[in-house]
Amino acid sequence: MFALALAAEQTVEATPEAVFALFGAGAGAGWVFDATCDRVATGSVVTMRAPFGGAGGDVEILGRITRIRFPQEIVVAHDLPWRGRLRVVFDAAPGGGTRVRLIADLDADGLEWLMRRRGWPVPEEPPPDAHPVGLLTSKSGSGSVFASATENVARLAVEEINADGGIHGRPIRLVVGDDATDVEVGAGEARRLVRAGCRAILATTTSATFARVQREIASTGVLLVHTLMNEGGRGGDLLFQLGERPQDQLRAAIGPLMRESGGRRAFLVGNDYCWPQIVHACARREIARRSGHVVGEGLAPLGSRDFEPMIERILASRADLVVSAFVGADAVAFERQCHAMGLRDRARTLVLALDEPTRERIGDRAAAGLWAVSGYFAELPGEANATFLARYRAAYGRWAPPVSSISESTYEALHLYAAAARNARDDEPRSVSRGLRGRHGFPRGTVTLSGPETFRQDLYLARATAEGFEIVSTSCQCDVTY
Amino acid sequence: MGTDLAFDALADPVRRQILGVLAASTECSAGEIAEQISRVGRTAVSSHLRVLKTSGLVTERRDGRYRLYALDPAGPARDVLAFLHELFAATLDDVRVAAQTDAMPERGRATRRAQ
Repeated sequence: MFALALAAEQTVEATPEAVFALFGAGAGAGWVFDATCDRVATGSVVTMRAPFGGAGGDVEILGRITRIRFPQEIVVAHDLPWRGRLRVVFDAAPGGGTRVRLIADLDADGLEWLMRRRGWPVPEEPPPDAHPVGLLTSKSGSGSVFASATENVARLAVEEINADGGIHGRPIRLVVGDDATDVEVGAGEARRLVRAGCRAILATTTSATFARVQREIASTGVLLVHTLMNEGGRGGDLLFQLGERPQDQLRAAIGPLMRESGGRRAFLVGNDYCWPQIVHACARREIARRSGHVVGEGLAPLGSRDFEPMIERILASRADLVVSAFVGADAVAFERQCHAMGLRDRARTLVLALDEPTRERIGDRAAAGLWAVSGYFAELPGEANATFLARYRAAYGRWAPPVSSISESTYEALHLYAAAARNARDDEPRSVSRGLRGRHGFPRGTVTLSGPETFRQDLYLARATAEGFEIVSTSCQCDVTY
Repeated sequence: MGTDLAFDALADPVRRQILGVLAASTECSAGEIAEQISRVGRTAVSSHLRVLKTSGLVTERRDGRYRLYALDPAGPARDVLAFLHELFAATLDDVRVAAQTDAMPERGRATRRAQ
């Protein structure tokens, strides 16, 4: 799978045991050894912050330890921002001390991502004899946490569609763009996907990127679908919004959480862009309706990592409920710091964008007890979900990032698109979009799409545990037209 | 020039493998490269090298009766691989400094952390 190996080495005057122990210890031993890692054990998630420099700043490499031999070897497999493997090999140096080798394995997509990140222009040729579909996702930046499994899941759907004959006899070819969780990068990548011949773009990104992309490609006649949870309100002939709506999530969650906490004081936090702002507006209404009150609010720009002053404010406010609209790596940093500062003992926390990869990176201990509400959890029963999970693991192995409501939404969007495109008389986006309605059985259960932003699905309220999620209650078939 | 071609050139696994071999050395002859790539023969390696050369990823230099190949210093592959190599070398320097500063107290932790 990996054809290119890049190696560097260094001799260190210490025993292999001592050098090995520096990994994950936060001992100021450089960006690889200072990986954020709760336990240096096989299966543990690790985040490395590589100092790429330049306009994009640091790059967070999201991986998992797949092999450990003490004190000889640590292997980290990573899917983001590019897919690869990083091996750290320790052996006794001939003259004493330890020879440490870093070996990076790369594939063609990884090299391509790196070249693009380094500013090399890329070709945009529509693929011959294929039906190109764009996937705009976050392979870097804060969103790469929630989007971890998105590309994998999308490729799984494309394989299924192509095994079933493709679209009008041509296979779908997925063209992937990385918005780097940045609206301007997202706009540029959307243009690139259009130049690459995509007549449909599925966006598994923040609403901030989605809104910017909508303006950017409005005149191109391309079909744009927002797959994951969003605030709605943008639907049209060529624009569909699937996913959970904040009104429904909050209606399903606020009541039970206020009962559980026994208090009425809520603090609202989130990133500073459209979706969190609307989450907060909806939360104020829902909390007021239940005779609670909002005692404080905090917003931080996407990419924030230090939340201590905000958490101090929450503690000082004596809130017993925290409603969080932080996303991705920001949600991870916020919740890890809340846990460290003792907020868990003082308040219940509902995190609207808490999904499996986000839970895992918050960490088993720091995430336990957080509340989540969405239309899919891996724990859901049902044949369709069992088959989906089995196929995902068969294709990507046990160490691939876990699927979640966010990545599963991309799987659904591709199947919805393929069903509509097969029924359309031609590949024109307008013809396809007319067929984008109906009732479908997916891993999350039955969903009904009856308008550009009218998407019905069941919602589940769940509590994070050290292993995953425990589903606490179900709200049936929320209708998201308002 | 040649960036479009560079991406096409990368599409082939053998060509990526050749780049990997070249990334680890300064210069190689086609024979030396072929020795490290078992799945194709010498002739195939030569034709892949031609593609890599045309696409601006690899340079060729004559030395007597040999042709020597290297990553093109002005090409995207050299840029990315050299950049990564530098990141790795720098972080390993940090490991060396950290290990040598407090190698002794680390020993107790080493035993504890082993799983």
